[in-house]
Amino acid sequence: MTATDQHPRHRLDDLLQNAVRFSIVAALDRAGTLSFKEVRDAVEITDSALSKQVASLEAAGYLGVGKSFAGKMPRTSLTLTRGGRIAWKAHLAALREIADELNR
Amino acid sequence: MRGSRAIDPQLLLERADRLSRSAHNATRWPYIAFIIALGVATSMGTFAMALTTGSGFGLAYTGTLVVMFALIIFFMISIQGRAAFARSPRWSAYIASWFVTYAGALAVVIWAHESVVLAAIASGLILVVSLICAAREARS
Repeated sequence: MTATDQHPRHRLDDLLQNAVRFSIVAALDRAGTLSFKEVRDAVEITDSALSKQVASLEAAGYLGVGKSFAGKMPRTSLTLTRGGRIAWKAHLAALREIADELNR
Repeated sequence: MRGSRAIDPQLLLERADRLSRSAHNATRWPYIAFIIALGVATSMGTFAMALTTGSGFGLAYTGTLVVMFALIIFFMISIQGRAAFARSPRWSAYIASWFVTYAGALAVVIWAHESVVLAAIASGLILVVSLICAAREARS
């Protein structure tokens, strides 16, 4: 069986099958770069839960994490990397194929 | 999704699109408003400067600086708490594009003063580039 013969579910990205990670990357899809707070508000989760999922996406190279300071306040920005965008597009394409199959 | 096989992929796609749009819309309007206003103000300002002399030139010069200063204050206030995009490569590219055309228009003001055609082209270019950046960001 070739890669193209496989069911599209095999092309779903393991990392993006988690609901929170899926939502984080979805929030960053159009915006490209958002602050930690903006992503937290968009995804509606706690800081600690977001930190944990951001760490795993950063480790996979899907997100870039920027640190800066405004006075003494730390500011964290999250940027969807090129690799992350490619993985996201592929994941959405696989989802679309599955949705199309279900609708047939 | 793992452990939730009953979720319709179509619903996931719709949720992703909705989340992406709302996150973008909630944070981008000050950036889009700023780049449009900056383009309009500097375009008209440099055009006025290129075509005037004496007190008229002074008025155009001062007016442009005042408007730019006011816009920067508006921008700094309105992006408080959502300034992450201001440090992104995309925003840097927009501002760099505006700056290059603005510098070009200032060069026309300095070296080709009262040339209507050159002033119109240089000032029009500022406006066009700013509007393209704003449209690109609005549609991203």
